[in-house]
Amino acid sequence: MRAWITTHTQAMSRASIRLRAQPLASTLSIAVIAIAILLPLALYILFANVSNAAARLNTEPNVNAYLSLTATDGEAKEIEKKIRLLSNAGAVAFIPRDVALVEMKKRANLGDLLAGIDSNPLPHAFAIKPKLTDTTSLDTLRRDITALPKVETVTVDFEWAKKLSRFVEFAQRIVFLISAVLAAAVIFVVGNTIRLQMLTQKEEIIVARLIGATRGFVRRPFLYFGALQGAAAGAIALIAAVGFTYWVGSEVNILAASYGADFQLRAPTLGQSAWVIGGGTILGWAGAFISVSMYWRHGEGER
Amino acid sequence: MITFSSTTKRYANGFEALKGVSLTIEKGEMVAITGHSGAGKSTILKLAAGIDLASQGSVLVNNQNLAKLKQAGLAVLRRNLGLVFQDHKLLFDRLVFDNVALPLEIAGFTRIETGKRVRAALDKVGLLNREKANPIQLSGGEQQRLCIARAIVNRPLILIADEPTGNLDHAYAATIMELFKSFNQVGVTVLLSTHDTTGLARIACRRININHGMIADEVKT
Repeated sequence: MRAWITTHTQAMSRASIRLRAQPLASTLSIAVIAIAILLPLALYILFANVSNAAARLNTEPNVNAYLSLTATDGEAKEIEKKIRLLSNAGAVAFIPRDVALVEMKKRANLGDLLAGIDSNPLPHAFAIKPKLTDTTSLDTLRRDITALPKVETVTVDFEWAKKLSRFVEFAQRIVFLISAVLAAAVIFVVGNTIRLQMLTQKEEIIVARLIGATRGFVRRPFLYFGALQGAAAGAIALIAAVGFTYWVGSEVNILAASYGADFQLRAPTLGQSAWVIGGGTILGWAGAFISVSMYWRHGEGER
Repeated sequence: MITFSSTTKRYANGFEALKGVSLTIEKGEMVAITGHSGAGKSTILKLAAGIDLASQGSVLVNNQNLAKLKQAGLAVLRRNLGLVFQDHKLLFDRLVFDNVALPLEIAGFTRIETGKRVRAALDKVGLLNREKANPIQLSGGEQQRLCIARAIVNRPLILIADEPTGNLDHAYAATIMELFKSFNQVGVTVLLSTHDTTGLARIACRRININHGMIADEVKT
């Protein structure tokens, strides 16, 4: 156990010495890997935030019926009764035009603008929860309500929310694809760095093998080298992503607030940060492992 | 300890460096392989160290058939061998101390133990005052002694040296030979090759003369 700890400590120490021995080359490699990690990370943060916001939206179908401006309170009551009789109509909520105006003034900060208008431009409306939500049933409900007197417009307002959810799902798949491609790029970058390292240290590898080094002994410092590069790149990408989140996030918060929306761009959590650094480490290690294995497969450094 | 049984070594170009050589080296023996250049001396040493494999016949070291050993097994076996190479194979980007420390690093020794053993080995070959030098700053004779220090630092059971006095003058060559004899006197089996028979004159050992890949004669002094 003591020998195991010693060999691993020595391998780690040799790897960090190699990293420091070529500061420019190491910095460039780490920067390239960091950019490759940062791109999918930034997209992930963006779509995770959009996804969270979309999840908060009501995606249950909601049918809204707007009456003509000339419809009286009595006519509205009659229409409500007829809607309730429709087989697919569940809960029906009547929104009187006066209440709608007050709500609008509150929500959209349009008080000043609406104050300048003489009459209420909003109609009486009904919000109807349908019992069946398949396209055919909703379409029938929409047609039935439209056919009622004084009903001017009928909307089914869940579609945009569903579209947004689908877009987020699609975007997440794109992020996954980009991540996979860039993960492969990280492996190639690390692999190439390690290959060059092995070529420059070919003599040392040969001597070490001749005096009793196992392949594991030779491989270990290169694996640590790759893992250290990946971890450093992951940490840099994370710091950059958090920085961008706060920088862009403050503007997004102000923008969202001006539209009366509650949307905040959130930085990665502690767990997600650990995943980014851990992922970078694993990718670096994998790149090194593949490179060393290919080196052995070609029989280099073996006599 | 080392047994060659009807061993033949044929290279890819068809050249037969060894032709059915049978040879046994007992534990604690000191054996010098002599012969002209290209006679097959180095081939015997390479086969004994597992650097090359026999084309026919077998080579056993510590009762282990080298042809049947896997990579890991060969690595473990080599930790019990001290190898001195004709071209030294020193690492010029490491200090003298670090060159000697390499076998101990491979074996997983602690830093303190490594320090003790490296200094003892350097002391034995007279290079203790050069531990912080770069090998490139050493003379040919010093580089050879450095290579010997690296070979003995792990306290090997067998010391294999290929032309250890090849590039040295007679005075230095005699010192190196005496050094090998001193290791042999403490129980280390020594197998070396040389074409310099005058350097061997003062050393009591078994001499095997190789000619065209075969054992021509054998003398024990």
